[in-house]
Amino acid sequence: MSEITLHDLEKQYGETTAVEDVSVEIRDGELLCLLGPSGSGKSTTLRMIAGLETPTSGTISIEADDVTDQPAYERNTSTVFQDWALFPHKSVLENVAFGLKMRGMSKDDRQKRARSMLERVQMGGYGDDDPTNLSGGQKQRVALARSLAVNPDVLLLDEPLSNLDKRLREDMQIELREIHEDLEETFVHVTHDQDEAFTLADRIGIMNEGELVQVGDPDEVYENPKNRFIEAFLGDTNFVDAVVTRTSSDAVHVDTELGTELVLPTDGEPDVDEGTGLTLSLRPEILSIDGETGRPEAAGKQPVATDGSAHNAVTGTVENVIYRGSTVRYSVSINGSSMFAERTDASTGAHASGDDIRLEWDGEDVLAFRDDGTRVTL
Amino acid sequence: MTTTNTRDPSSFDRIRDAVVGQSNSRRALVLMAPLIAFELLVFVIPFFILLRISVASGSADLPYESGTWSLDAYSSVIENILSFDLFWSILVYSFVLGGAVTIVTVGIALFYAYAIWRSSGLVKSLLLFSVILPLLTTLVIRTYAFTPLLSPTGTVNDVLLSLNLVSEPIQFVPGIVGAGIGQLYIVLPYAVLAIYSVMATIDWDIVEAARDLGASRPRSVVEVVVPQVMPGVIVATVISFAWSVGSYAAPGLLSENLTFAIYIETLLLTDQRYPVAAAFSVIMLVLMLISTGVLFAILNRFGGDFDLA
Repeated sequence: MSEITLHDLEKQYGETTAVEDVSVEIRDGELLCLLGPSGSGKSTTLRMIAGLETPTSGTISIEADDVTDQPAYERNTSTVFQDWALFPHKSVLENVAFGLKMRGMSKDDRQKRARSMLERVQMGGYGDDDPTNLSGGQKQRVALARSLAVNPDVLLLDEPLSNLDKRLREDMQIELREIHEDLEETFVHVTHDQDEAFTLADRIGIMNEGELVQVGDPDEVYENPKNRFIEAFLGDTNFVDAVVTRTSSDAVHVDTELGTELVLPTDGEPDVDEGTGLTLSLRPEILSIDGETGRPEAAGKQPVATDGSAHNAVTGTVENVIYRGSTVRYSVSINGSSMFAERTDASTGAHASGDDIRLEWDGEDVLAFRDDGTRVTL
Repeated sequence: MTTTNTRDPSSFDRIRDAVVGQSNSRRALVLMAPLIAFELLVFVIPFFILLRISVASGSADLPYESGTWSLDAYSSVIENILSFDLFWSILVYSFVLGGAVTIVTVGIALFYAYAIWRSSGLVKSLLLFSVILPLLTTLVIRTYAFTPLLSPTGTVNDVLLSLNLVSEPIQFVPGIVGAGIGQLYIVLPYAVLAIYSVMATIDWDIVEAARDLGASRPRSVVEVVVPQVMPGVIVATVISFAWSVGSYAAPGLLSENLTFAIYIETLLLTDQRYPVAAAFSVIMLVLMLISTGVLFAILNRFGGDFDLA
C-alpha cells in the first residue's frame, strides 16, 4: 500500500533510448496499467520500479523514500514475471515461502503464511508439487502468491497473462481484479493488450516509443485521447484525410478524401488555420447505418450539415461483409476510400456486397488530429 | 462415411502398439550394436582379463603363471595396505591429490562458467575459447610447461622474491603443489564445460525473481543457480575426481611422488608383477566406485531447498 512517484525517468542502452521523461504519480492502492505496443518501454519502466534496471537519470520514490539507488533485493517491491520465473528445483510451497525466507522468517511461520497465500489463489492442495508440472494458469497463480506473500509496497506485473490462452486470460483478469480489490494494494500492470488494460485498470498509462503519452481513467483515454497514436492503438477506427477549407467561430469546415465536405462543430474559436491537413477519426460505434431517415436521393454527394445539428452522412458501396459473431462488419468503399462500419444485431442479411449503404454520424463525435499526431481541440 | 471406421479401435491399437513397439526396440538394438561391440572389445573383455590375471600366481621369469589360480596378489596388496606400507601411502597420496584437485577445480569451474554465462558478445567468445585453447596443445607440453613457471628458479618464485613476499624460493615443482596445479590445468576445461552446459539452460529470470524477493546477489546464486546447476557439478566432480585420483602425467612430470597409476606402470614394466598390479587396480576400482557413489549421494542433497540459516 504505497504511493510511487516516478520523476523524469530515463533509460538508455548505449545509443538507444528505451524510456524517456517518464513522470507519473501512482496512487496508493490503485491498479495502474501501463499499456503500449512492444518496445514502447513499459516493461523497462516496470523493471526500473522493481530495481532490476538502473535508470540512466531520474528518480523513483516509494512513499516519499527515494529508492532510485536501492538494488532490487532491498526494495519492498515484488514482480510477477511474464514467464512466471518459478524456481524449478523448489516445491510450490518453497517457492511461495522464498521471499519470507529471505526476510528471515522462521520456517514454521513462513510455511504457514505460504499455505494461506496458496489458499488465497486457489492452489491450496498443490504445496508439495513440483512447479514444472503445473499448467500455465496454475504457475501464474503460484507466481502471484509468491509475490504477494512478502506483502510488498507495490505488486509489479510484467505481462503475466500473455502466455495464457484467451479464455483463461479473461478469467485471470477478473480474478486479478478481485484480488486487487480485496487487498487494496498498489498494483502496476504492464500489458500490450488493450482489453486487458480496460478490464483491470483504475487508470491507464499509454506508452509509445519510450514516452508516457497519457495517463488517465480508461474512459478518459479512450474518449479523449491526447494524440493520434492513442486513438489508433485503442480499438479500431476509420482515419479519414481532410483539409481545412474554412473556419468559423463555432465550426471547422473540411474537405475529405470521401469526396464530401464535412462540418466539425467547435466549442469556441478553432485552433486550426485554413489549408491545414487533418486526420479525422470516425470510430465504428459513432457510425449509424441507414438511419431512420432511409435512403436520401442525393446521398454521398453533399454533406447533410444543417446548422446546429452537425449531422453528417456519406453513402458508399458495401465491398465485403465479415460476420464476427456478436457484430457484423461492413467494408464500405466511398469515393475510392475504404471505411468500415459495424452493426451489433448479427443478421447478416441486412446488407450484402455491392449494396449501397449510408453511414451517418454526429459531427460532435469526430476527433481530428494534425499531421504531427497532436489532437485538434474542437 | 462411418462404415470405414467400424473395426474395433482398441484391438487395432493393441496390435499396432505391439508391432511398432517391437520394431522400436529392435531398431534401438541395431543402433546400439556398434557401441555394445566397442564396449565389449575395449572395456568388458579387457576387464575380465585383468580380473583373471589378478587371481593368477606370480612367476620368477614370466609376468604371471597362466592357468593358475591364486589369491596371493590380493593378500599381499591388502596386507601391505593394512600395515600402512608403500601401497597405503600411494593410495593416500592418490586420493589426497585427487580430492584436493577436485575441490579446487569445481570451485574455479563454477566461477568461470558463471562468468561465461553472464558475459556476452566478444567477451563470451574469448572466455569460451580460452577454455578450449589448452586442449589444442598436447597434454605433456602444457603440463611440462609448469616446470619453468613453478620450479625454485622459475617465474613465479622470481616474482614472489622480487615482491619480498618470500625470503627464499618455494619448491612447488617437483612436489604435490606442482602436481596438483598441473592436474587442475588438465581437468579444468572439462569441468568448466560440464558446468557451463547446464548453466546455459538456466533462465536468468529466476535469478532476477530471487533478487526481487529479497535475495542478495551471492544468496540468489546459492539459492537458485547452484541447485539448478548441480547435474553439471556432479559430472564435473566425477570427471575431476576419477581422472585426478588416477592421474599419471601431471604427478609423473611435476613431482617425485608415486601415484597409483605411476606405481602400476612400475609394477607392470619394471617389476613385471602382473597379478599384483592387477589386484591393486581392482582394489582401486572398487574404492573409486565407492567414493563416487558417496559423492553422488552428498551432491544430490543440494538439489533442492536447503537452509543456510
